[in-house]
Amino acid sequence: MAAEKHDVPPAAVNANLTEREKLEIESSFRNEIVATRHRRLRRGLMFNLIGVLIFLAVWEVLPRIVPGVNIQMFPPPSGVIATLYGMLADGQLAAHAWSSLKRVAAGFVIGSSAGILVGLFTGRLALLQSMSDPVLHGLRSIPAIAFVPLAIVWFGLGETPKIALISWGTFFPVWISTFIGVRDVPKLYVQSALSLGAGPLNVMFRVVLPAAMPFVFAGLRHATAVAFVIVVAAELVGASSGLGYLISFSHLVFRIDMMFVGLLALGVLGFLADAAFAALLQRLFPWYRAERS
Amino acid sequence: MASLIEVEGVSQIFETREGKANWALWQVSLEIEAGEFVCLIGPSGCGKTTLLHLIAGFMKPSEGSVRFAGAPVGEPSPDRGVVFQEYALFGWMTARQNVEFGLRMRGMGRAERREKAREALARVGLERALERYPHELSGGMRQRVAVARALVNEPRVLLMDEPFAAVDAITRTTLQDDLVRLWQQTGVSVVFVTHNVDEAAFLAQRVVVMRPHPGSIKRSMNIDLPYPRQRSSAEFAQLYAHLGEALGE
Repeated sequence: MAAEKHDVPPAAVNANLTEREKLEIESSFRNEIVATRHRRLRRGLMFNLIGVLIFLAVWEVLPRIVPGVNIQMFPPPSGVIATLYGMLADGQLAAHAWSSLKRVAAGFVIGSSAGILVGLFTGRLALLQSMSDPVLHGLRSIPAIAFVPLAIVWFGLGETPKIALISWGTFFPVWISTFIGVRDVPKLYVQSALSLGAGPLNVMFRVVLPAAMPFVFAGLRHATAVAFVIVVAAELVGASSGLGYLISFSHLVFRIDMMFVGLLALGVLGFLADAAFAALLQRLFPWYRAERS
Repeated sequence: MASLIEVEGVSQIFETREGKANWALWQVSLEIEAGEFVCLIGPSGCGKTTLLHLIAGFMKPSEGSVRFAGAPVGEPSPDRGVVFQEYALFGWMTARQNVEFGLRMRGMGRAERREKAREALARVGLERALERYPHELSGGMRQRVAVARALVNEPRVLLMDEPFAAVDAITRTTLQDDLVRLWQQTGVSVVFVTHNVDEAAFLAQRVVVMRPHPGSIKRSMNIDLPYPRQRSSAEFAQLYAHLGEALGE
């Protein structure tokens, strides 16, 4: 033991730290951690910004220098921003976005509620699963936008066909992921619930459904993306408002800058919807994954 | 007076991964008295967990009968509380909500439920973790919650399936001490599955040694060492060796 003591560096031997010195070291250590984290974050954001600026610069310059390109056909960011500003100022853009959002929301609520219910029952009851599998998988394989003409024949040109199409399209991803979540609920959860005296309904709604919620949520997130695809397809034909209509109308009047504004708005809405889901997922299910790591 | 648990000539057939038939249990008979602490010990594949699940009511025996308190075992019931190895707490509920679950299923009112859950968690030393979620608790604390969740329903038997296998050795001995204390306080029967000789020697009044292929009971050994047992004592060392031999034969 005595020999080992000599190996200790002198600094450690002299480190007869007072409580105050200890706290000082701790606090500067903590500050250093925070500062490093902020530095990394700033660097990351800076490079994000640089990337975006390069993209915009290339886009701005390209239409002007490439021979044979009509600037009307390929409007640079400066032109798109001017148009965007005008369409924001007269409320035109907001009106179209609102029309589309209403359709997306209505269809999403109907389609995903049905998806959750059907997923829950087909995931729990083998008989229902066997009965519904061929039909549901068959229908799922048909791209939802292929039903646009059918929806118009059946439901006319109003809101109904659009909402019906979005409901149809969002149903499948929600159903599939709910089904998988429910089917793969750990057996121990169900056995625990049964041995604590839970009946079939309580097992289903208080244990299986909450346990499957992270999967359900993944399905809902996927469904929002699908909903935006379908709303555009549905608005390209037989609509008089909405972002899809805006894009198709811009085509008719040869306003490519307005078309770009429509595309931009769709990108922003889609991105925000997805980011909202990602944030909710973290907040609502902190137990998922965390428990098993 | 019949025993609390009567397992009579029970055989259980299973399909293996290769699709063949396999006897997880072969003609097993076992009686467990009210208030008794029994450990089922044996290598993997000896059917100890299967036997526990049959008593819990998670499955029906292929042959033979399992009776509890004089009646054939039907569906799982809070009378037979179960504690699993891990990950059986509901992750989306706090410790308190987990413990309240069984009471809620019985239709107990909110105030009474809260009070009972608080008491049950205090009994396992977790009065300060009431509102914490399982993923915020250590492995040992989670297993305490699991014990409280079963005990709050005042079961007549506690069925424990390697409940301490996934926690570190130091925590495990504390959990074992606490389990002995709870068992003595409540008078509940305990059927405890383990593959750990030390654990069986420390806990059980009776050790049922099992063997695989097919799963069956090899020996049943009574342990009359008083509680709390001292691991450092000569008697404990002797008992440990004795059990080890019985397993290895």
